[in-house]
Amino acid sequence: MMNETISINTIMSSRLKRRRRFIMMTSVLAILSFALCCAMLMLGNTIYPIKDVIGVLLGEEVKGATFTVGTLRLPRMIAGVFAGFAFGVGGYIFQTMLRNPLANPNVIGITTGSSAAAVFCIIVLHASNSVVSIASVIGGLATVLVIYGLSKGSAFSIGRLILIGIGLQAMLNAVISYLMLIGRESDIPTAMRWLSGSLNGAKMENLYPLVIIVLLFTPIILFFGKRLEMLELGEQAATSLGVDTNKTRLILIISSVLIIALATAATGPIAFVAFLAGPIAKRLVGVGFSNIIPAGLIGVILVLGADLIGQFAFETRYPVGVITGILGAPYLIYLLIRINRKGDL
Amino acid sequence: MNNVSVSEKKQLHIPRNFIRVFIPLLLLLGVCILASLAFGSRMIGWGDLLDGLFHPDVQSHEANVVRQRIVRTIFSLMCGAALGVSGSLMQSVTRNPIADPSILGVNTGASLFVVCGIAFFNISSANQYIWLAILGAILTAIFVFGIGSMGSGGATPLKLVLAGAATSAILSSLVVAVMIPRSNVMDQFRFWQVGSVGAGNWESIKTFIPFLIVGVLIAIFTGPALNALALGDEAARGLGVRTGTIRLVAALGGVLLCGAATALAGPIGFIGLLATHVIRLLIGPDLRYIIPMSALSGAIILTVSDVLGRLLGSPGELEVGIVTAFVGAPILILITMKAKMRAL
Amino acid sequence: MKPTHTFQAESITAGYDKKTILHDVSIDIPSNKISIIIGANGCGKSTLLKTMARLIKPTAGQISLDGKPIHKIPPKQLARVLGLLPQSPIVPEGITVADLVGRGRFPHQTFLKGWSKKDYEAVAEAMEIMNITEFADRNIDELSGGQRQRVWIAMALAQQTDILFLDEPTTYLDITYQVEILDLLTDLNRKYGTTIVMVLHDINLSARYADHIFALHKGKLVAEGAPSEVITSSLIKDIFNLECKVIEDPVSDSPSVVPIGRHHNKAVEAPNKAVIV
Repeated sequence: MMNETISINTIMSSRLKRRRRFIMMTSVLAILSFALCCAMLMLGNTIYPIKDVIGVLLGEEVKGATFTVGTLRLPRMIAGVFAGFAFGVGGYIFQTMLRNPLANPNVIGITTGSSAAAVFCIIVLHASNSVVSIASVIGGLATVLVIYGLSKGSAFSIGRLILIGIGLQAMLNAVISYLMLIGRESDIPTAMRWLSGSLNGAKMENLYPLVIIVLLFTPIILFFGKRLEMLELGEQAATSLGVDTNKTRLILIISSVLIIALATAATGPIAFVAFLAGPIAKRLVGVGFSNIIPAGLIGVILVLGADLIGQFAFETRYPVGVITGILGAPYLIYLLIRINRKGDL
Repeated sequence: MNNVSVSEKKQLHIPRNFIRVFIPLLLLLGVCILASLAFGSRMIGWGDLLDGLFHPDVQSHEANVVRQRIVRTIFSLMCGAALGVSGSLMQSVTRNPIADPSILGVNTGASLFVVCGIAFFNISSANQYIWLAILGAILTAIFVFGIGSMGSGGATPLKLVLAGAATSAILSSLVVAVMIPRSNVMDQFRFWQVGSVGAGNWESIKTFIPFLIVGVLIAIFTGPALNALALGDEAARGLGVRTGTIRLVAALGGVLLCGAATALAGPIGFIGLLATHVIRLLIGPDLRYIIPMSALSGAIILTVSDVLGRLLGSPGELEVGIVTAFVGAPILILITMKAKMRAL
Repeated sequence: MKPTHTFQAESITAGYDKKTILHDVSIDIPSNKISIIIGANGCGKSTLLKTMARLIKPTAGQISLDGKPIHKIPPKQLARVLGLLPQSPIVPEGITVADLVGRGRFPHQTFLKGWSKKDYEAVAEAMEIMNITEFADRNIDELSGGQRQRVWIAMALAQQTDILFLDEPTTYLDITYQVEILDLLTDLNRKYGTTIVMVLHDINLSARYADHIFALHKGKLVAEGAPSEVITSSLIKDIFNLECKVIEDPVSDSPSVVPIGRHHNKAVEAPNKAVIV
């Protein structure tokens, strides 16, 4: 009995220690995100002091700032925050469910599917924003269905799924290029937006679907987050622990595709955020607690940080997707090497 | 006596379908050439076609269009051939049914180096493009293969493709990053992102020829050894093949060809994959024939894709790289679905 | 002591991918006892266990717990009564032993609360029973195969279910571990009354450790009962196609199967040996 009390205490203290680390790191991430938000609003060709920014946010008329901060920078920041969060969370969920950091929405073409549907609506149908949003969700879901359908069958494996996703992405990229050609949308900024993601030209009206869905679905995702942890242990273990595996997977996939598709419709597919957020969160925050919020926050930090770098660090302005592409590169290589070493493929 | 003649026959063994496949392919090639000259934003009739080809004194508008298209057609045939052979070489070196210069990211590497050369070193001649592209292709191939081979099992097709896709994505971002500040100067922007044969001219063709010849010669001469390699490293060594050397030479040939093609046309994907698989379906697994014949099938496929691109994108063009991606990707998916996972 | 449950499989027909493996099997699991399912490879013992543990849905028949069909019981509620040791489970990277064992508490936990006192107690107890308390803070990757198996069993124990299913829990383990784990499971049963249902490949260990044996052959139940009644040479011949002699185990008082092969058979070879003199 004495032994048991000692071991209870040991377990409790080490778990509480890890929980402290989790809470601390998450708070740091939250603070960093907030700081970046402020930077997004304050920095620019003209730097506005925090007083002015708050004024604009409260609805006051501040000379000069109201337009720049309110109409230009605020939507940009909101797009960055919600898209970053969506990509981070969505990517994390896919990677965890498919048990492979390479199986994420960027690689297997889901973001491309959303982009293709959105571009189609814009160029061919000249559709309104709500239609574009719905189309991008349908595009993302359709891509998931196609990949799932094609990779099912007696020889299912994650490797096959990934390969099919890569092939599908190549096709969809070709479709996007074609659409942009016939729509004469060949000017660089628009092309950039749909091919690698950009916060340029974000407008508040376009962002409502993204914001609402992210706010609505995040609690749902968090609720199922615990079940996701059980899914990590494999199908048998999860079922034995009382998880309805099919229902859980369905809800999680639909939720992730939903938020990712809407984020893609708002900003284009920002390269690598969905891919990087999960692994970085795990490094910082550790394992043992649901990493959903940390992954989302890292997504926010990556997007806002990359956008700020893209705007101010160089002579030319680079869209956020190019910066995340370059930043993500070394990590992607590192991850591939690690996975290959461990023999997980 | 009987034994000797049997083994002699084996050495001269030509795939049974060869003649039955070769002749129709040649005819198909001829048809493609004619199509490439006749079709496009302006459709050319038979009479004007003959004028353009054989009557240099006739200066009608249509005849001139045909003359312009001659260059483009020859260029696309050469690029197609180069990419087809390159793909088949890469597939045999890596024993990977889905290897292709674009899938392995080699094309993107080649194009990145050229773009950097243009941006930072003011390179402008086709010859310099080619050497830079080849350098980029070699380095990328080494990089991708290096990462893909790590860990147990060596360079399995899945690992190679993932390494290639990841590398390609990264290098693509770098290409875009280099190009964005210079997009005014580089109006060939899209050309370096997605290949097109529209940029070909007589100068680039002349520069291309030596590389194409060397590459194809390498391909033909390594053919028998590659057949042995297909049986497995150990079996090949048992048959007296120097596996390391052969791999290196064949890989060099593949990289040379795809580098040259990318330098002049930008990154065009999937030709290697498509060309090799079509031939394999028609002729069977004998690499001595697959490799040279993929030149033929590659030329046909690329030219047809270009014609399609010109028709669909009229009056401009839909770059051939887009068409090949759209056609090639489903084939990639089909192959992935059908192949046993062990083979992948 | 754990409560008594009735657990019945009635007329089960089940299989995978259109291949039927079990044909009309009905069994009644004796409560608070250790039951072991034996049979040749492919006879359906694993399929039967998985069907009872609700991993496979039977094409005919139903499984009932206390009279209620199990697919009608909400999964989390069922998981508080029924547990399974997963085969080839996946170890998430970087997780500690205590955390993994703690995942077994999921059926007892609600969304908003963290670990309660009962959770800590259950985890500590499970680790103590399986002798892995010293590893509490270690990463799973660092442990050996035998140690890892004990961790997974501890997770199933932490679930504190009344009924526990284990499919070949000792395969690939050294004989020391095999005996150790079977002893630990027996402790569990004697101390808490946990109903245990196992598939074991070793017929002699099965005979020794089981209170009740179910023998399957080609997807049908051919015998059941106490080991001393069920394990006979004719049964072994029927289900394993093996000639054998059944003797009394010199250590316990359960039956022990001694196989008869073509060689090393005193009764057959003795006459030859005599000639060499």
